[in-house]
Amino acid sequence: MPVKLPAATALLLVARTLGAQTAIVYGTVRNVATGVGVANANVFVPGTALKTPSGTDGRYLLRNVPAGQVEIRAVVVGYPPAVRTVLVAAGDSVEVDFDLRGLPAAVDDLQAFTTEPLIVTAAKHSQLLAQAVTSVALVSDTDLARRAVSTVDEAVNRAPGVLFLAGQVNIRGSSGFVEGLGSRVLLLVDGVPANQGDRGGIDWDMVPLAEVAHVEVLKGAGSSLYGSAALGGVVNVITRETPLGFHARIRATGGAYANPPFDVWRFRGGVGALGGLDATASYGQGAVRGSLTLGGRHSDGYREQDRSDQWEMSGKAEWLPQPGTRVTTSGAWTSHQYEVFPTWCVPVPPGTRACDTRGQAFQPFLIDSSGAGSYTRSNKGYLSATLDRTVSSRFSWEARGSWLRTHFTDVNPDDWAVSNRFGGEVRGVSRSPSGRVVTAGVEVARGDVTSDIFGDHTQNQVGMYGEAEGLLGGARVTAGTRIDYLDADSSQATAVLSPRVGAVLTSRIGTWRASAGRGFRAPTLAERFVNTRALGFQVIPNPALHPETAWSFEVGNAAPIASWARLDAALFWTEARQLIEPTFLVDAGGVAKIQIQNVSRARLRGLDASLVVTPFPSLTGTIAYLFLDARDLANDSVLAFRPKQLLTLSVDYRWRMFSVGGDFRYSSRIERIELEPVFGGDPRVAAKVLDLRASWQRGALAARLLVANALNYIYNLVPRTLEPVRTASVVLTWTY
Amino acid sequence: MSSRVARAALVAAALACNGGLQPTPAPPSISGIVTYRGAAPDSTQAVYVVAYQTFPHTRDSLFTFQPPVPQPLPLGVATAAYRIPVEPGRYEWVLAVWVKQGFTLANADSTLRETGYYRDPADTSQPGVVDVLTQPATSIDFVIDFGHMHPPCRYYTPPCP
Repeated sequence: MPVKLPAATALLLVARTLGAQTAIVYGTVRNVATGVGVANANVFVPGTALKTPSGTDGRYLLRNVPAGQVEIRAVVVGYPPAVRTVLVAAGDSVEVDFDLRGLPAAVDDLQAFTTEPLIVTAAKHSQLLAQAVTSVALVSDTDLARRAVSTVDEAVNRAPGVLFLAGQVNIRGSSGFVEGLGSRVLLLVDGVPANQGDRGGIDWDMVPLAEVAHVEVLKGAGSSLYGSAALGGVVNVITRETPLGFHARIRATGGAYANPPFDVWRFRGGVGALGGLDATASYGQGAVRGSLTLGGRHSDGYREQDRSDQWEMSGKAEWLPQPGTRVTTSGAWTSHQYEVFPTWCVPVPPGTRACDTRGQAFQPFLIDSSGAGSYTRSNKGYLSATLDRTVSSRFSWEARGSWLRTHFTDVNPDDWAVSNRFGGEVRGVSRSPSGRVVTAGVEVARGDVTSDIFGDHTQNQVGMYGEAEGLLGGARVTAGTRIDYLDADSSQATAVLSPRVGAVLTSRIGTWRASAGRGFRAPTLAERFVNTRALGFQVIPNPALHPETAWSFEVGNAAPIASWARLDAALFWTEARQLIEPTFLVDAGGVAKIQIQNVSRARLRGLDASLVVTPFPSLTGTIAYLFLDARDLANDSVLAFRPKQLLTLSVDYRWRMFSVGGDFRYSSRIERIELEPVFGGDPRVAAKVLDLRASWQRGALAARLLVANALNYIYNLVPRTLEPVRTASVVLTWTY
Repeated sequence: MSSRVARAALVAAALACNGGLQPTPAPPSISGIVTYRGAAPDSTQAVYVVAYQTFPHTRDSLFTFQPPVPQPLPLGVATAAYRIPVEPGRYEWVLAVWVKQGFTLANADSTLRETGYYRDPADTSQPGVVDVLTQPATSIDFVIDFGHMHPPCRYYTPPCP
């Protein structure tokens, strides 16, 4: 029998648990050889009546576990028993996974289907998804595996309400497209901020996908806990736990890009290829565990001048000196060299160089020859160390330090930058018998850059935050705030206050959530100090930039509408002020220039809904729909680079060791873009992309086939930049 | 029945996914690079590239060029790329026209000058014919020589003295 936890039940469970000084222990019982959940394992606390069977996906949940040090066992026929000892705090919910060695008793064990993960870390401590006051989308380990993708952004790109524009993530239309500068979404790796120290953008290739267990996408302003850049949301990448014993995994990927569907667009004689190989080894014994991943990838690209090569490594070490204490160090390093496709080729205007249009109005697969030879070498990496300590059943704390470094070198045009981001945080979580949870902490960050286009500069940030959750009548209420002090080059500090209030209420028609919060994003060093040329114009610095801010409001409901279907819908409204955007201006000499300024006021509001259905254990489907009304209030126009509608359909069917599935993504035609006088005449279409997948798994071997953009639909989302064509790839995985 | 449904679903999916970017023939045009020789006179108002489908042998045909509203070429540089939108057809004369300050339709004979034209590669003493039929004409390169400018009437029948 699968473990399912309807939202209303979950809330009541937590409320009762909190009041009784007990905790929830949950997790997955897995076959380490296959990575697949083991059904019907008996999970219990010895000497008590606490026990539960694992579901068909291996998941289990034990409630009313007494606070303190607890031994938990998992026993199932065909495997040796597994034992874990953990320290749990009253009211806490703790994940405890069991990795079993041996062969499954029957192939039917492989018929796992996905149920929604229950636990999220949106509030900087583990909590049930139903407790989160803002919307959270989850990309589970199952999603990651079955999509057969190579990078984190490819996996996140199909999450409800999420759309990537040329590598720039948008959550409910948060960022638009600003050439990679200043993401309005914060990336966390195991809770550690990982946006670039100079440009504020996100290097999605920094974390090897092989290391990722699941991804949480927090929607709406998250600055009350996370500070700058969490203006439009937070993407938290959670890496894998290291199991006991020796384990290894090798993954090989190979594939090919389709040629253009029209001969006049062909740009090479053969077929473009892609491939990769990565290997992970881990070992855990007693109090020490560690893992290491090495990998490399190559791609010929799907258009002219689009080759890329990447080498990556990552590692993680854990030390558990005593129950309740964990020291974790982790790091990753990626070296990525890629050719740059500048813009596609259009008929030559007077005064520019020629390009081969072959008599066409535009050539999406060919470059403008002025960008011939452009490439970038991008090295990036991070190191972090975290100390977790559960002092008692009522109090736990965590301290961490991190260092993020990026170094890019562009050729044609020749630019370079080296930046560092040092961060630290101390946080405490207190839980009272009455059910109140208080989270408070201090976070510091220092960024620096040395660059030919950004100069030599530093930026400091200190944030203090506190948030309290408690039961008020039938509702679980959350209130908190954060104050950040920011300065650049030790100039006068700017203070930003980011409060948030929210509530969760269970009713007969589902679990309601409501929240109001303020978010902000500090201008990046690149935005303040950039001095370069773009599109033929001089770009001049603006050290006086202010943080951009936004108030976000949300009302949502999550409800099971049948035993096999669950609907989650939210209305959201964001009022943004002083948005940081590139602006044209004319200097005293009459020369047009570009400067990044606080200019725009914007309003983003809409509906974000998803329906998950599981009519049979072997069949799952999701319909996700986003309606977005995004207005530029300063110009009384549609906000640029925001499609009005975004629809995602997903279906997966599993039969014995085989599974098939697919995604269809529709995003409406982008109504307005920036630089209309330059690019406004280019064609723009709605995006309609069909991805198909199939997999086979037996024992330690698994094979997955992915055909992305199966209909070879040709489209672009940002000016003169073609989105990927049909790409077929096969992923072979061997697990020990 | 199920195969019909599957077929209908496939057709629906194909239709739904129709409408991506398609090849679009560029609007007919003549383009190339002009190379300047000499310096533009101080009295220069502008220099344009225009094209005639029929060689203008009379003053009445002087203003039958395309495009009707040409764009000025950049001056003060060694070379310049140009592209002029034209109607599909065969063009007997592609030339650069120098315009003197104070130009009006009435004084065109004294304020306009031919200052260079595309030449027949096989016989460079003759104008080259440019076909703009199925696709734009490219690489229509020629020299603009400010030291050898000629009034329009030189090409009339009969030519001016």
